[in-house]
Amino acid sequence: MQINVLHRPAQALAQVWLQPGEAIVAESGALVGMTPNVQMQTQSGGVMSGLKRMFGGESFFRNTFTAQQGNGEVLLAHALPGDMAVLEMTPEGYFLQSSAFIASSPGVNIDTKLGGFRGFFSGAGVFVLKATTQSPGQLLVGGFGGLQELVCDGNLVIDTGHLVAWDATLQYQVGKSGAGWIASFLSGEGLVCHFQGRGRIWVQTRNPVEYGRAVGSQLPPRE
Amino acid sequence: MRYEVRQKPDYGLVRVMFDAPGEQLLVESSAMVARDTAVTMKTQMTGGLFDAAKRKLLGGESLFQNTFTATAPGQTLWVAPAPEGDVQELHCDGSTPVFLQSGAFLACAPSVQLDTKWGGAKGFFSGAGLFLLRAAGVGPLFFSCYGGIHPVDVGPAGYIVDTNHIVGWTGGLEYRVTKLGGLKSLFLSGEGLVCEFRGQGRVWVSTRNPSSLAAFLQPFRPVKPRS
Repeated sequence: MQINVLHRPAQALAQVWLQPGEAIVAESGALVGMTPNVQMQTQSGGVMSGLKRMFGGESFFRNTFTAQQGNGEVLLAHALPGDMAVLEMTPEGYFLQSSAFIASSPGVNIDTKLGGFRGFFSGAGVFVLKATTQSPGQLLVGGFGGLQELVCDGNLVIDTGHLVAWDATLQYQVGKSGAGWIASFLSGEGLVCHFQGRGRIWVQTRNPVEYGRAVGSQLPPRE
Repeated sequence: MRYEVRQKPDYGLVRVMFDAPGEQLLVESSAMVARDTAVTMKTQMTGGLFDAAKRKLLGGESLFQNTFTATAPGQTLWVAPAPEGDVQELHCDGSTPVFLQSGAFLACAPSVQLDTKWGGAKGFFSGAGLFLLRAAGVGPLFFSCYGGIHPVDVGPAGYIVDTNHIVGWTGGLEYRVTKLGGLKSLFLSGEGLVCEFRGQGRVWVSTRNPSSLAAFLQPFRPVKPRS
């Protein structure tokens, strides 16, 4: 499998080349186009994991695209304008903010984890995803706006609304940004993620919830 | 006439440099960004009222289009579409027409004829618009979409495109609207209907679709107070 990310950064499109029999698992609704020899199969992977995914801010179902008889191509995209990145799986794996998942190699296990109850207030969802694998594989993640890779060596504080993915080698804790809760709330910085250890963190250069608030409030009211 | 598209793919902007007086470009209503003062503009319903109304009502284009005419060599005209996204330029060589999704047309030389085509009942279900714009002739054509434009060359094996991501395609391709997988997939996959293209030609797909953005923004709309 080879993934090329084209039209970066804002209009990123993932061109996935599959060899005969190879497959990729993608988030529901991510398909843009494909060669007709690619078969799509929809599965929840069991009711419990489907439900867990729904709580994690993802869709209940995922689609598996498999190339039959010959090489296949699948085009995948994110719903919002923004960049995508291909992460090579590591022994430790990655944590993902739940809406960042777009696709992965079939061997990659995506598990929904509690992100700490404080995550509830962060707009980043109560849950995070953990991607792990026994064998080599790839993970396709997407963000809103550009993607910036940061290296944490010691400590780093990231706004939860800007988090996309991070190495599972890092310790993380969601907490307040300032000294007190009131100051944190008034600062507009809300909740942040405190990282400790050594690893990479991918951030999105725009915060989708802030964007939604800025634009959505200008729209006519819902009934 | 020479032309280039700048700031691809995020904010496509067309720059046209006229070589001779009398050269013209037909531009979608309100798409002009800038022009030399001496370039004249004439607003018209191309093809007369009936054709213009057909395009407006059926093809999703404006009732009026503007024709810009150069009065001296070296004059320039800048054109941009409304949505944030790409502009694709294409030099039509007359060998095959181009079909555009409604709303995708941006500009063309007057030597390219525009016509509204009935997309057939399949268009109705495809979300691809019931009507298509058919561009035929010789000359430059510019079209646009929300998101980036990605070209796909279709061979005998064909290609499948999500109906919400089709911008346009060249004649010589046959298409049919179909669903992927079984009934379960139709309702649960989130992929809806697709268009399967066959033959020899090119399909342009958009990397984003505006309905996803609208769906994202929906929960952020204010709630109407109960009276």
